Amino acid sequence: MNKNYIILMGILILLAAGLLVLPLKNNSKQLDPEVLMWDIVQPTRYVSTDEVAKMIIEHDPLLMMVDVRSAEDFQLFSLTNAINFPLDSLALDDARSALTFNKRNLVFYSNDDLKSDQAWVIAKRLGLKNIYVLKGGLNRWIQTIIQPEAPAETASEAEFNLYAFRQGASQYFTGGSISIDKSPQAEVVVSRKKKAKAAEGGC
Amino acid sequence: MNQEIDIQDRPKYINPYFGGVLLGLVLLITFYITGRGLGASGAVKSAVVTTVDKVAPDHAEQNTYMKAFITDDHSPMFNWLVFESFGIFIGGLLSGALFGRIKKLRIEKSPNITNKTRLFAAGIGGILFGIGSQFGRGCSSGAALSGTASSSFGGLLVMLLMFGTGYVVAYFFRKLWI
Amino acid sequence: MGPLIPQGIIPMGWDFVIALLIGIAFGFVLEASGFSSSRNITGVFYGYNFVVLRVFFTAVVVAMIGLQYFDYFGWIDLNQIYVLPTFLSPMIVGAIIMGVGFVLGGFCPGTSYTAIAIGKIDAMVFTGGLFLGIFLFSEFFPFFEQFYYSGNMGSITIGEFFGISNNLVTLIFVVIAVVAFYITWRIELRVRKNMIQYKF
Repeated sequence: MNKNYIILMGILILLAAGLLVLPLKNNSKQLDPEVLMWDIVQPTRYVSTDEVAKMIIEHDPLLMMVDVRSAEDFQLFSLTNAINFPLDSLALDDARSALTFNKRNLVFYSNDDLKSDQAWVIAKRLGLKNIYVLKGGLNRWIQTIIQPEAPAETASEAEFNLYAFRQGASQYFTGGSISIDKSPQAEVVVSRKKKAKAAEGGC
Repeated sequence: MNQEIDIQDRPKYINPYFGGVLLGLVLLITFYITGRGLGASGAVKSAVVTTVDKVAPDHAEQNTYMKAFITDDHSPMFNWLVFESFGIFIGGLLSGALFGRIKKLRIEKSPNITNKTRLFAAGIGGILFGIGSQFGRGCSSGAALSGTASSSFGGLLVMLLMFGTGYVVAYFFRKLWI
Repeated sequence: MGPLIPQGIIPMGWDFVIALLIGIAFGFVLEASGFSSSRNITGVFYGYNFVVLRVFFTAVVVAMIGLQYFDYFGWIDLNQIYVLPTFLSPMIVGAIIMGVGFVLGGFCPGTSYTAIAIGKIDAMVFTGGLFLGIFLFSEFFPFFEQFYYSGNMGSITIGEFFGISNNLVTLIFVVIAVVAFYITWRIELRVRKNMIQYKF
């Protein structure tokens, strides 16, 4: 075997091993205040109750609901498969590792969106990604999903469709105690939301 | 044996390790500039969508898979991967011209099979690769090469399984090659 | 710093020019390494030519080490790199289908483009098959849409999957590559001794 190859392969292994022994990089990634401010004023962090309901019904594997209210409140009422991290525990290490696990889409919620907004800022500064806030919190959830209000007779078809979806969702979450004139199941079956990256797929 | 003749007949390729380092650097630069790796089959996907969209627009619109790639403002051919794949072709031309490998149209095959067999196998292989690359989210360059380089678990999986399957079935198709 | 385009350092308008240039570099290296010849490529399965393994592994290892160092020096933000998401079961099926297609066709999509450039008819047929294959896939997509999206594990990296750091993964990869280079070199010597003819 050529001696040059042995030298080259040695260099390759050394380079790779060098990665392991390098002193740890300064990882305290404090977010640039400007970046943070820019992100805070963006409305894109909000997801609507309808979107969340749809994701829960479809069992979106990436969705993770995070309840930031106190543990007592969480015991009383919580959304399907939500996990509880009260606001004051959010900056602790185990909360952080639990939330970064699996790179899921985290949706924070509280009774309204004040506390969850605070949670969002904390999470943002911790460097978490794919984090969202449930717009209007549980209050809006009750108003729109659990007890949806029928639109006026003159409302557009889109509004009626939305109402039908909400009725179906309401039945899904409450176990079908509300009387509905249309078959709700047909409305609940919604086509799976395509990944935003879909167009990038393929090789 | 006729080792001497063999070596003379063999086309002059660059040292594979040197080629590998070059390819690795190209890949690295691609990541540095674009944030994502290389690809090849995506261009054919764009071509398929464009063709179907031209021939039967309604049909393309109804198809849940193709619909995602159709936009009103530009053709699906106006796509990063299409340009890149066109580049691959030009790069092949340049290298072929430089090393004197561009010759008249020809079929490369084992001397033990007919041209027809070779073309048939190539066509079937292409179809399988086309279907597989959609399930695998990329072909050997997109998933296996770029995926593994960016430490994606899926990329590693595709690479190992693709070559593993190759070794498993290679015995049955040995006539095609040796 | 990098990646440049997602960070907005290079404006989007240059996107396609860069795509073309990168493609040219990619195609040039592929062709120059001998990937425009299907018998050259499939040699990896029969032991008479391991050029695919050499080029492929060297490229992966170089890019992997390079990315880690770039990240270390802060030249590139690895969090902004597109990590191919893992869809477990469809990827397993896809890779197996591609493996069979690889042995039958003797090309993969990228290499077939370069082979067309130097005038290989079989590569043209292969690319035609590719077109047909993707067309068939899209046509019958509704039948396996459920399956296509199943087993989604997100953009999980190798290190995350095995619970080790990606730097360690890189080192393991390099060691495996070097061992593979040595073993295949021995195999190639032995197989070629018994081959009567080896022409392209």
